[in-house]
Order: sequence, then C-alpha cells, then structure tokens
Amino acid sequence: MSKLQSQKDYEDFRDQVKKERDPERLLVSICAGSGCGAYGTEEVREALEQEVSKNGLKQKVEVKVTGCHGFCEQGPIMVIHPQGIFYPKVKPADIPEIVAETIVKGEVIKGKLYKDPVSKKRIQKEEDIPFYKGQHRIVFGNNGMIDPAKIDDYIAVDGYSALVKVLFSMSPEEVISAIKESGLRGRGAGGFPTGIKWETCRKAHGDIRYVMCNADEGDPGAYMDRSLLEGNPQSVLEGMIIGAYAIGSHDGFIYVRNEYPLAVKNIGIAIKQAEEYGLLGKNILGSGFDFTVKISRGGGAFICGESTALMRSLEGQVGRPRAKYVHTVDKGYRDSPSTLNNVETWANVPVIINKGAEWYASLGTERSKGTKVFSLVGKVRNTGLVEVPMGASLRTIIFDIGGGIPKKRKFKAVQTGGPSGGCIPEDLLDLPVDYQRLAEVGSIMGSGGMIVMDQDTCMVDVARYFLDFLQEESCGQCVPCREGIKRLLEILTDICAGNGKEGDIELLEELAGTVSKLSLCALGGTAPNPVLSTIRYFRKEYEAHIYDKKCPSGVCKELFYYEIDEKKCNGCHVCFLRCPQEAISGEKKKPHTIDQEKCIKCSICYESCKVDAVAIK
Amino acid sequence: MEDYEPTIIAFTCNWCTYTAADLAGTSRLSYPPNVRLIRVMCTGMVDPKYVIKALLEGADAVLISGCHIGDCHYMNGNLKARRRVKLLKELLPRFGFDEQRVKLTWIGASDGIQFAETITEMVPKLKALGPNEVRNQMVL
Amino acid sequence: MVTFTLNGRQVEAEEGSTILEVAETYNVKIPTLCNHKALEPAGLCRLCTVEVYDGRRTRFVTSCNYPVWGGMEVKTDSEDVIRHRKMIVELLLARCPNNEFVKGLAAEFGIEATRFKLEEDDCVLCGLCVRMCAERMGVSAISMTGRGTDIRVETPFQIKSDACQVCGACESVCPTGRIDVREIAKYEPRPLLSDWEVGLQERGAAYMPFPQAVPLAAVIDGEACAHVRTGNCGVCREFCEAGAIDLDMKEEIIEVEVGSIILATGYDLMDPSPMKQYGYGVYPNVFTSLEFERLSNATGPTGGVILIRDENGELTVPPKSVAILHCIGSRDVNHHEYCSRVCCMYALKYGHLIKEKVGHETKVYNFYIDLRCFGKGYEEFYRRLQEEGITFIRGKAAEITDQAITPEEEGKLVVIGEDTLLGKRLRVPVDAVILCMAMEARSDALDVGRIFGVSQGADGFFLEEHPKLGPLNTATDGVFIAGACQGPKDIPDAVSQASGAAAKSLALATLGKVLVPSTISWIDPNICAGCQTCIGLCPYTAIEFDARRGVSVVNEALCKGCGSCAGFCPSGAAQVRHFNQKQIFAELDGVMDAISAVGI
Ligand SMILES: Cc1cc2nc3c(=O)[nH]c(=O)nc-3n(C[C@H](O)[C@H](O)[C@H](O)COP(=O)(O)O)c2cc1C
Ligand code: SF4
Ligand code: SF4
Ligand code: SF4
Ligand code: SF4
Ligand code: SF4
Ligand code: FES
Ligand code: FES
Ligand code: FES
Repeated sequence: MSKLQSQKDYEDFRDQVKKERDPERLLVSICAGSGCGAYGTEEVREALEQEVSKNGLKQKVEVKVTGCHGFCEQGPIMVIHPQGIFYPKVKPADIPEIVAETIVKGEVIKGKLYKDPVSKKRIQKEEDIPFYKGQHRIVFGNNGMIDPAKIDDYIAVDGYSALVKVLFSMSPEEVISAIKESGLRGRGAGGFPTGIKWETCRKAHGDIRYVMCNADEGDPGAYMDRSLLEGNPQSVLEGMIIGAYAIGSHDGFIYVRNEYPLAVKNIGIAIKQAEEYGLLGKNILGSGFDFTVKISRGGGAFICGESTALMRSLEGQVGRPRAKYVHTVDKGYRDSPSTLNNVETWANVPVIINKGAEWYASLGTERSKGTKVFSLVGKVRNTGLVEVPMGASLRTIIFDIGGGIPKKRKFKAVQTGGPSGGCIPEDLLDLPVDYQRLAEVGSIMGSGGMIVMDQDTCMVDVARYFLDFLQEESCGQCVPCREGIKRLLEILTDICAGNGKEGDIELLEELAGTVSKLSLCALGGTAPNPVLSTIRYFRKEYEAHIYDKKCPSGVCKELFYYEIDEKKCNGCHVCFLRCPQEAISGEKKKPHTIDQEKCIKCSICYESCKVDAVAIK
Repeated sequence: MEDYEPTIIAFTCNWCTYTAADLAGTSRLSYPPNVRLIRVMCTGMVDPKYVIKALLEGADAVLISGCHIGDCHYMNGNLKARRRVKLLKELLPRFGFDEQRVKLTWIGASDGIQFAETITEMVPKLKALGPNEVRNQMVL
Repeated sequence: MVTFTLNGRQVEAEEGSTILEVAETYNVKIPTLCNHKALEPAGLCRLCTVEVYDGRRTRFVTSCNYPVWGGMEVKTDSEDVIRHRKMIVELLLARCPNNEFVKGLAAEFGIEATRFKLEEDDCVLCGLCVRMCAERMGVSAISMTGRGTDIRVETPFQIKSDACQVCGACESVCPTGRIDVREIAKYEPRPLLSDWEVGLQERGAAYMPFPQAVPLAAVIDGEACAHVRTGNCGVCREFCEAGAIDLDMKEEIIEVEVGSIILATGYDLMDPSPMKQYGYGVYPNVFTSLEFERLSNATGPTGGVILIRDENGELTVPPKSVAILHCIGSRDVNHHEYCSRVCCMYALKYGHLIKEKVGHETKVYNFYIDLRCFGKGYEEFYRRLQEEGITFIRGKAAEITDQAITPEEEGKLVVIGEDTLLGKRLRVPVDAVILCMAMEARSDALDVGRIFGVSQGADGFFLEEHPKLGPLNTATDGVFIAGACQGPKDIPDAVSQASGAAAKSLALATLGKVLVPSTISWIDPNICAGCQTCIGLCPYTAIEFDARRGVSVVNEALCKGCGSCAGFCPSGAAQVRHFNQKQIFAELDGVMDAISAVGI
C-alpha cells in the first residue's frame, strides 16, 4: 500500500474499499474482545473457518473478528449479517449447525438465540435485544463491524473522513470552536470541557506541545477504554490527530496500562497501519501537518491515571501527582503545554466533526452533551458496556437496559464513577445521569463505572471495600489522603467488626471533610465519597452496626447470624445437604435448625433456600 | 722534637666560641697556650683562603669553631662553614697539608670547659703529627 | 505586581510569588511542615492550607505553592482552615505519637490526644530529606518508595547507598529526627568537629570560628562544603539574608607592605595519644586540659556545666571525682624538658571550678611534681584551695587504667602513682582525668621561621635575639615575637610581651629611620663578576642584582653582616666591613709575627 497523499487519494481509496464490500454479502462477525476471548472466541473462529472451507463457502462468507460488542457476559458473541442474527455464548460444537442452518439455508436456530431474562423471550436480532435497544451507540456502534487489525474496515465506515475534513477545510481555531460548541466534556473523570482545554493549550507559551491519550483506566470494573482501544483503535487515533492539529502539536503519546495486552497490541497495529497509509507521521495526506504517536506502557497504578502523575510517569519519574495550580495545558509533560484526554473523549472527536457540533449538542442535557459509555456491573441481569445519551435516568440504564436485579432481590443502591464514587439509593433512581446531577447527589461521573447493589449488600461494608482499594492505590505522598483514608478505613473496619463506637459516624464525617477538601489530588478529593454518600443515604445501617451491633444485610460476619424460620421451612433438606459445615440439622419435611456454633456464615443455606426460610438475624 | 710546640690559629664565632674562650679564661680554666684566636662574626664568613693562608703563614693547625647547629646567630652560617670545611679537607692534601690540621667544632657560649678541653686534646695530637713543614718546602 | 486581599487587607505582591511568601512579608504566620526555603515547594503536608475565594467559590489551597493572582481573597486562619489543619496534625500525631517534634506540633495546635489508633512511626513523610538529597545535593540516594500507606523513605532496595555522599543534608532538614545517615550511607559519616571546642562539639561546613572572632563573620570550610566539593548544595545562600555568601571565592595571596612584623603564632598543645599509659582516646573520660577548659567554659559545648561522658559518649553526667595530672609531657626528659609554666595555675583553677560548679563534695586530686605558684597572688590562691579540700599528691602519676582490683574501683578510672612525700604507692579511683599537657612549639614553626628569618631554639620555640637584651627581637630586624610562640607563658606574660612588641614596632615607625650595624657587607662593584652566588647564600635576602651594572649590591638596611657572602665570593668582591680579607690577613700576620718573636 502506498501512502495516501491527498484528500483525493483518500476519497478514491475509501470509495474503492466501500465498493468492494457488498452489503448483501454474508458476514459473520465474531467478537474477540477480552471478554469473549476469555470465553473461547479463538476456538469458535477456528471451528467456523474450518466449517466454512469444508463447505466450500469461502467465497460466499466473510468471517470478521471484531472488538468488543459491549455485551461480554454473553460471549463469545456471533452476529450474522446482513440479517443481524445474534447468537450468544457460541461454542465450537455449535458451529456445524450454525453453518448448515443459518449460513447455508438462512434459517434462524431458535434454540441458540438470545433469551431475554426479563421477558424470557428469544430475540433474533441484535438491535432488538433490550440491552442494545435502549442504547445510543455513537462511539461504540462500529465495534461490531470492524476488525481492529484492519484499517480498511475503519475506512469502510467513513473512518478518517473527519480528519480529511479538518485538514483540508478547517482551521485549527474552527476545530476548537466546533469542539467547544459540541459541549464535549472529558470522559476520564473530571468532565472538563474539552474545547476549552484545547484552546488553552494552543494559546499556552511554548514551542513544543504534546497530545496524550489516557488509557490507564484504573477503575476496577470499568473497561470501556480497553474495549475501544481493542475494538476500534483507529477512531481514538483519528481523534488524537484531529486534536493535535487543533492544538498545534506534533507529538502524541498513548499511555496504556501494560495489563491490557490486547489493547497495546491493537493500538500498535493501528499506528503502524495509519503510518503506512500516510494518515499518521510526516505530512499527513499531503497537508503538510506532521504528527507521530508513541505508546507508553504503564505499570497499572490507579494513580497514574491522574494527569500530572501520568505525565511524571511518562517522564520516567515515579507516578505521583503534583499540585495543579499551574495547569498541565501550560506546563505538563517536560514542562511543555500538554493536552491529555481520555480514550473515550478522543473517540468522540471524529463523530463530532463528521456529524457536526450542533447535532452532537442536541444529545444530552443542558450542560452534559453527547453520550457516555457506562460499564454496568454488579447485581444486574445484563452486565456490559452501555452507551446512552447524557441524561438517561439510572432507572433506564439499570432496569431497561440492564434488565433489573436478578434472583428476585430488591435494588438497593448503585455506585457510579468508580471506587471513589458515591452510592445512590433507590429513591433517586429517576435521576438523569449527567455531571451536575451526580455531583449534587454526592457521587461522580468518573470514568463511567456503575455498580448495582441489591438488598444483600451491606453499605458499610461497601464503603469499607472501596476505601480499602483507595488506601492501596493512594500515592501516599500527602497527609490527608494517606493518613486520612487509612483512618477512615480503620473506623469502617471497626464498625464492620462490631467495634463501632458512639461518635464514629461524626468522626467519619469530620475526617472525610478534611480528606476531600485538603488532599493534593482528586484521588484524595473524591475518596470520601463512598463513606459520605453511604452515611447520607444509609445512616440507619451505620447506626444498626454501631448501636445494635447488627448488620441488617447479613454481610458483616460478626454482626448477624442465620436462623431458619420454622413457619416457612418446609423441610426440603436442601440446606442440610449443602451446608459445608454440617451445621444444619433436621429431618425431611420437618423444620430445620442451624447450630450457631458450627455455622461459618458462608450464606450457602441462605442462597439455596427456595422458600426464604433462612433469615438474617 | 720534645720541645716542639704547635701553633693553632682559631677562627672563632663572635657569638659563641669566642665568648666560650672568654668564659674559659674568666673561669680560670687552664689549657695549653698554643692557640691564637681570630674573632669572626660567624663561621659562615670564614673564607677557605683564610685557613690556607694561616697554614701557609706557619700555623700547625686551624680550628674553626662556631655555634651549635641550629643556634647560629645568622640562622645557618655554621651550616655553610661545615660545607666549606668538608670541601676544604678534600683539597688540603693536594697542597701537602694533612687534613687533620683543620678542625671544625661547635662550642656554645657557655661552654668554656669544652673550649679548654678541645685545645687540650688538640695539642698532643698535633705534637704527634709533627710541625707543619709545607711552608718550608714551598717553592716560590 | 498584583493586588489581592489577605485576611481582609489589601496587599501587593510580585507576580509568581506564593501566598506563603507574601504572607511572610506581611507578617502573617502560616504553619508549614514540608516547606523549606531551599527546596521547591511540594505541597505534601497540607498544613499550610488557606482559603481562597475567587469570586465564585471558596477553595482550600496550599499556600506554599499557590501562586498569587490579582483580585483573589485569601483567608489564612478562617475557622474551616484551622479545623482542617488540626485534623492534619491529629492524623500526624496518631502516626507518630511518641515523636517529640510531632508532640510539640500537636501541642501548638492545642491537641492533647488523637482519636485514632496509635502507630509507632517517626517519619511524617514530609519528603524534605528526599528532596534535599535530590534537588540540592544532586544525589538522590534516598527516595520515597512504595505507595499509599506503604510509602517510606529509603534507599533503593534498602541497600546501604554508595551514592550517598554522607553530607548529612537530609538529617539537617528532617523535622522529626527520623533520618539517620548511618542507616543510609555505605560509608561511616565523619562528623565535622569544631576546632575551637577541641572536637567536643560538631559544627557545620559553614560556621562561626569562635564567639569572639574578629571579624565576627562566618567562614566556610572548603574541605567539607558540599558546594565547593561538588558544585551542588548552596543551601546557605538561601538563608543568608545579607546575601553575604560567596561560594565562588578563591584563595588569593595578598601582599601588604609593612614596616615591621610581630609573630604571635602561639603554641600547640601536646597530643597525649602516643603516651599510651594515660589512655587518652581509649578511656572517654580522660580529657586534655584544653578540653576541660571548654567543658567548664560558659560558651563551651555544655554551656559551662561540668559534665563528663556517659556510656554513649554524650556529655551528660557530673563527675563525682576528678584527678588532675600535672606536667604531662613537660619536665620530662622523654618529651619536653622545659616547664610549661601555666599548668600549675590552671590546674588549681580547675580544682576550684569543679568544687564550685559540680559541688563541694566532688573529690579533686592533683598529682604534681612541684607546684610553681610564682605569680602575683598565685601562692595565696594555692593556699585557699588547700583549704577548700583539694587533695595534692606530690608525685607524677604513672598510669591510668580501668582494670579494677577492688569494688570501689569498679567502673572507675584508676590513677596509679606514688606519693613521694609519704613514699607510698597509690591507686586513686576517679570518674574523670584531666591531663595538663605540655605546651609545645607550633608544628609549622620551622616553616614560619624560615619565612620571617627567625630561628627556633632547641625546644622548638622561636628564638629571641637575646634573652635579656632583646627578648622581643629576633635575628631579623623589624620582626618581633610575642606570646607563646617564643616559649610557654600565661596570659599576663603574653599580654605584656605583646604590648612590648607592639611598642617596639611603633618605636621603629616613629623613628622614621633605620639604624644599621657597622659590621655589614659591601660588594666592590669593580671586582664583582656578577655571578650572583652570594644572592642565594644570603639568609636575609639582602643582596640584589643590579642588572645595569651587572653586579650584586648589598642592601645595607637588611644586611646583618654574617659574612655568608664574603666567605664564598669567588672573586673576593664581597667583604664584611671590619672583617675584610685585608684586615684578617693583617691580623694573622700580627699573630704569627708575635709567635715567632716570643715563641709560644
Ligand atoms: C486518581 C485518578 C485516577 C484517574 N484515572 C484516570 C484514568 O484511568 N483514565 C482517564 O482517562 N482519566 C483518569 N483520571 C482523570 C485524569 O486526571 C484526567 O482528568 C483525564 O485523563 C483528562 O481527560 P478528559 O478530560 O478527556 O477526561 C484520573 C484522575 C484521578 C484523580
Ligand atoms: S490525594 Fe492521595 S493520591 Fe493524591 S497526591 Fe495526595 S496521597 Fe497522592
Ligand atoms: S547524607 Fe546522603 S542521603 Fe542524606 S542528603 Fe547527603 S547524599 Fe543524600
Ligand atoms: S525522614 Fe524526616 S525529613 Fe524525611 S520524610 Fe521523614 S520526617 Fe520528613
Ligand atoms: S554550600 Fe553552604 S550549606 Fe552547602 S555545604 Fe557548603 S557551606 Fe554548607
Ligand atoms: S654579609 Fe650576610 S647578610 Fe650581609 S649581604 Fe652578605 S650574606 Fe647577606
Ligand atoms: S468482549 Fe465480546 S462483547 Fe465485550
Ligand atoms: S653566629 Fe656563631 S656560627 Fe654563625
Ligand atoms: S508546607 Fe505547604 S503543603 Fe506542606
């Protein structure tokens, strides 16, 4: 492939690629994202290719290995186009049937279709599945159509047309004002208006400017950045090149954690291909604009996702934040003006350029525009990556898309924004999700983590759990964060262990205030959120722990015990059989009892009782 | 040669040996009368010529005596004298003089006794050596 | 210049300065912990937090690194600020509950106890040490390792560092005293000992030579200064408000033309270490007389409290008994035969001071050969001390040992000697021993003497021209000596001698002319061959070469008439007047004539 050297070169090439693709041609797309991959995509792909060639279908069928479709729990996922037939959890053994029926005959195999856990109906098409139906996938939409190792696939969906538009018909200032008008805000955590960031950086003094992509993604449970880099790395690259053009930068970095090997690999391939095509490097598309991107692999510390820590880490120093009284857009990497944006933020950029700032701004709420990808996990039926317009309510996300809470349990709270987000209770379920509203209720947008909790979750324990994570991940250099989180955790641990004292709640609040107000960086600044929000909405639970020495949700082992309700127990004997401690006695069809001495509170009986006779006391 | 009495010319430093000789006298020490003193300010000013001149004039021996090493009134004149005498002693035999005829000693101002002893020791040795005949043998 | 409000007051400040800097100039106190003048602010402790109102919202920022801007409103001690600061200190107290510094800090904030569980740490992780080492020393031998609660100050891999230059800068900034160079450095730190305190106290590389120094100005020890050695550091510059520190100063030779010179170079105290029998340097509580002088001096290391060393070598314990050993190295054929003249009297003074300062029950033993109390009032002082209950034992002490042979001697220093008056051998157990060391000529007296044309006596001290007639003069005219460089003497004697020497130089100056002796050398220019040998020989550099005439010329003001030139001059041009060759030969002739005339 020789380099594309002009707008025309690009357009001709794109048209040619598009022409080669017959929309009516059979296309089997298999997801090879990290999630599906772990379920065995590779075996499925091998089986499929064998089967296809065995049947002499090679010419008729195209097999495409794509990035994450977002519905990883159903992996490996297979979608057969043009019909859009969606087969979840495909195993190599299913392949002969799928080839024989669906590919050769075009028949749908009912039994293999996705079964909606709520309606219990089989659904044939991807777009009809409730999980997808409620979404608005402007950055994630193409993932299922693209082989991340093939730049042509990206170009076939008009990839790099935004770059062409920018390079040949927009001035840097025009790009910046488009981004400003779109209302795009950082998707990494802070929600800082991206256009303003670019503008300040462009205006900052300095000869060299840097553009960086933050793919550290330290929030446990969040993986939208990984999925984007794995599945559609070219869109992130295109965003960065556009940003570099707008800011006046010629050097870019992608800071990605080394724990994402597939993302590192795919972005590496993407850079190489873009360079080969003349879309990256010197004199991009003959426009005279130069931009190169290097990959920097991080060790995976949560704090290295913080902008100043990330830049120090890039410089080869220990990744510890510094005060941002002088902004990184003025003095960042190597003291030069630097723009750092999140993976998802960058991926939004080509969309805005292509579809226009106005269109983009029409999505979302007054001060939060566009869409946001959430990683919906926890006690919810459909887990996965969910892209919805800003302002979608929690209820929509959790119940319509997520399918609600499994096992007839009740919703209790949802934690948004990663480990330092707050827990939002049931009565706020109709809250439209945007930056302001989340902040108002004591949480954050963060990177878009969303953990759903059901009635069996102890909120004190949840706070303790997150603080434990944060204590480990705090860089430890400033006093309020290092010492404060340690003490918050210490008190929470005491409370969970039944050693809570009067005044603990107040002390937690007081200390949390100092930690959030005085910490050097946002890690400390937001770390008290889990504590403060759980106290705010679940104070009674704290009081039960401290004063009654009870854990109402049956999580804190020191603070509850299981008892079998004689009236409810029908003597099915299941618990008797399952209890690993042989702590349950009772004859069949007669009420059973638990020997408290032997019980280790493993909760097996509680989970297995069909009639809810095992009660938390 | 029973009655041969040698003549000793002594160049004595003003600051020590000359005073020592004085002290020997005032202390009423007795020593052979064979010595004649020529006062110099420092042994460092004794030109080897003076020694040879004395020997040629008929002295049987020349004694150069100054302050102890380190005590020289002019810091190191005696060191210079020591160097010169050593050289001089190498030259003397060529003129026909026995090198024993020149002696260098250090006698402090308070050492009257040592001065007397030095002379007392010198005289019998010179007697054994016999008179200085060189002057008579000289062909002028 | 920007204008903003600081605690309600309009203030002006240089752009780019921090709130803390501005507050300081306006005398507004803000507590700090991790800030240090010599280091870049890091904003780690957060103790210096203040409130900033930007017109929309109030924020808490750290004043040590927050740059001021026009129109901001700063409050340094609002209720919220104080409450948060207190929490910071309480957290630190919980971390380091036993550390004196942190306890003090807590007390300052009115915190008596912490509500959190107590830990046992001594490091507040202010990072000062690490930053000092990296930023100013350019070494980075230590760093903050680990993350979160595991963060620690340590060397890479906890291995003793050979990068550490053992400068101690880290120790000097550590507020809590946690950091210990010994734990960091591969090499043993060598303390810089104060010469003035005879090594009893440490000093920095920059120090005041001594309290009465003239001029009273600090000096920098180039051999120890990290800047001079490595080009880094320069921390002192940050602190000297007068801006007086010039680290680029170079050694220079200054030539001053003077009419006369007084040598008052003093003496050396004899080093007792080679005299193994006295155990100096082996037993920590054997002191030299000069060390004891500092120990009893109000400006000394103990502030004048007489204390001896404890088992850690620190000066903390008052002695219960002290032996003073006279004449160590003096009046001793193995060392110096002379008497050092001052020991008897200072030994008496020490006895008196011990009784007075430590207490009258303290036992003081003087081991002496003779007590030479020759001065005015000296003998009376001696009597008084005898009455004060000081023990005088006639007999020089032979040995000091710590080998006890009786229970009373256990843990003590035992002085072994003989009371020659009683003819009895003695063993006296004491807590401390003072060795009255001999005064001796300065080790460099030979070199100094050479420069100034002054010779040394057999005892090594500078030799005066004449003990009675020229006690202040030297062999070189215009060079005088005063004080102990001439011989052991006490302060009154040194002062009188110095006054005399000063008067002598003044006399020279007021006279306006120089008297030269008649017995000096003259070089006959008609004979001089210009070989210049005499120039090298002249001990008084009195001969110069006249290049025009090609002859050597004697400077009559300098010539002493030693005749070194005359004794050698190969052409016989140099002659000492009154002792010239003609005169000597004539004298010889006369002598020989007389001899031949009268016989012996
Ligand atoms: C403790 C901490 C961790 C962070 N981790 C990440 C991260 O993993 N990925 C990310 O994009 N931003 C992270 N951020 C936010 C970044 O500091 C920065 O705001 C962001 O990368 C800017 O890009 P954006 O404006 O596109 O969001 C983190 C911030 C903090 C305080
Ligand atoms: S707030 Fe926490 S993570 Fe941030 S700098 Fe302070 S110690 Fe480090
Ligand atoms: S002593 Fe060592 S560790 Fe301390 S500042 Fe000096 S070089 Fe650094
Ligand atoms: S050792 Fe001292 S200077 Fe270093 S971080 Fe700890 S308290 Fe601060
Ligand atoms: S530069 Fe100053 S502070 Fe540093 S070592 Fe030298 S004298 Fe001390
Ligand atoms: S007599 Fe001595 S001092 Fe005088 S010029 Fe000769 S060598 Fe020098
Ligand atoms: S990895 Fe396949 S859907 Fe996410
Ligand atoms: S002064 Fe006596 S030898 Fe020189
Ligand atoms: S002194 Fe400012 S943060 Fe420590």
